[in-house]
Amino acid sequence: MQARHGQSSYRDRTDEFFGVVESRRRSIAPAAENNVPHGGGGGRREDPRSAAANQSEFSKRASLIGLAIHQTSQKLSKLAQLAKRSSVFDDPTREIQELTVVIKQEISGLNGALLDLQAVRNSHNDESNISRDTTTHSATVVDDLKNRLMDTTKEFKDVLTLRTENMKIQEDRMKKFSLISSKESANPFVRQRPLASKPSPSQPAPLPWANGSSSSSSQIVPSRQGEAESSPLLQQSQQQQQHMVPLQDTYMQSRAEALHNVESTIHELGNIFTQLATMVSQQGEIAIRIDQNMEDTLANVEGAQSQLARYLNSISSNRWLMIKIFFVLIAFLMVFLFFVA
Amino acid sequence: MKITALLVLKAAPETTDPVILANASDVSHFGYFQRSSVKEFVVFVGRTVASRTPPSQRQSVQHEEYKVHAYNRNGLCAVGFMDDHYPVRSAFSLLNQVIDEYHKSFGETWRSAKEDSAQPWPYLADALTKFQDPAEADKLLKIQRELDETKIILHKTIDSVLARGEKLDSLVEKSSDLSMASQMFYKQAKKTNSCCTIL
Repeated sequence: MQARHGQSSYRDRTDEFFGVVESRRRSIAPAAENNVPHGGGGGRREDPRSAAANQSEFSKRASLIGLAIHQTSQKLSKLAQLAKRSSVFDDPTREIQELTVVIKQEISGLNGALLDLQAVRNSHNDESNISRDTTTHSATVVDDLKNRLMDTTKEFKDVLTLRTENMKIQEDRMKKFSLISSKESANPFVRQRPLASKPSPSQPAPLPWANGSSSSSSQIVPSRQGEAESSPLLQQSQQQQQHMVPLQDTYMQSRAEALHNVESTIHELGNIFTQLATMVSQQGEIAIRIDQNMEDTLANVEGAQSQLARYLNSISSNRWLMIKIFFVLIAFLMVFLFFVA
Repeated sequence: MKITALLVLKAAPETTDPVILANASDVSHFGYFQRSSVKEFVVFVGRTVASRTPPSQRQSVQHEEYKVHAYNRNGLCAVGFMDDHYPVRSAFSLLNQVIDEYHKSFGETWRSAKEDSAQPWPYLADALTKFQDPAEADKLLKIQRELDETKIILHKTIDSVLARGEKLDSLVEKSSDLSMASQMFYKQAKKTNSCCTIL
């Protein structure tokens, strides 16, 4: 393709150059030029001029769209920053919502503009004879703008999801705090969250006590026994009624729990005793075996001892025999000596 | 874990202030000059809590560093000032006992009381000292504690039984070796006994 382009440029450059010069001249004095009859030769020049005009209009539009996309992405980054701020106070919900609406409008507008641009380019492609360069160039430009818009839309979507997550977290936190703050008045959140109403100022005397009790009743709420209660001074008596019944329940529940614990402990103790009995019986068997071994040893040793005793006897008795044999030998010797001497 | 005060009040209907029927407090751990103010504070808070406890209800309120437990039973209300570590269940069982005891000793005479009675009730003072240990008040706690101790002892027993088992195993080894050795000894002896006729 490059070679062909080179060839075509090598071949057709002069005409193109003339066409450009003409278009320049014409763009400088468009009114005068418009009246000039283009005739036959103008066909070729008209194309470059209209092509150039189309091209410039296309590029103008493209640049406008690019600028708008850039602005939208800037606004989007600001929105992302706002959404990331997940603090409970100073919730910029309004601003975030306004920004979201604005960005959405811009994105949709950009979408429409891009579609228009594409349509214009296609129509221009169809009606006039533009070179392949311009076609590819315009196609690339349109694609690039489309990609950028897609990225912006994706970012926008991410920011929205992040925002919804943060809102959910905040809601949970609000619920947690509102549950506690509905029982206390000294909670700093009370000032900001309208969910917890403040104690009535018509009871000034017991108020400090209520404040003191309520501020530390929040610590008791998550405690295991969870029976801490706020005084009826706080907010609605209905709430108090609701909390009275749980207190009774929790008291009973804690008793039931303690009983369960005792029962399970006793059960474990039973288990331990059973294991103990098993182990002791096993060891009893071992003891019996030891006993048997010892008896065997005793029998062996006794037998060996008797053998040795017999041996001893035999040894000692042999000596007697030997003495007798020696006497007999000596007698023979004497007889022999007698015979010889 | 300590009880600072025990009060028995007559919980009148909401409009009037409760009437104190018995009061026992242990303020020994406060400085000498604070004792009277602490007593006043106890009285005042006890009255307030009792007035705000509906009948046949139990309630626990946190006040500074004390937990105030109140149990209202048909107009007779027992209030206890405990610290944070005192288990709540034992507190309420203690209040139960106090109310039962009061019923037994005073019957229904308290219903006519209109002013704070100044006579001390010895049972309350005894209860205060006795029940400093929450296990005394709550039988369940006592049983649980004893069971835990027993469990520890049993664990130790099992450990010693295991050691005994090991020793018995070593004894078995040794006794079997001994029996082998004695058998060899017997065989040797027999051998030497059999071939003696040569010499």
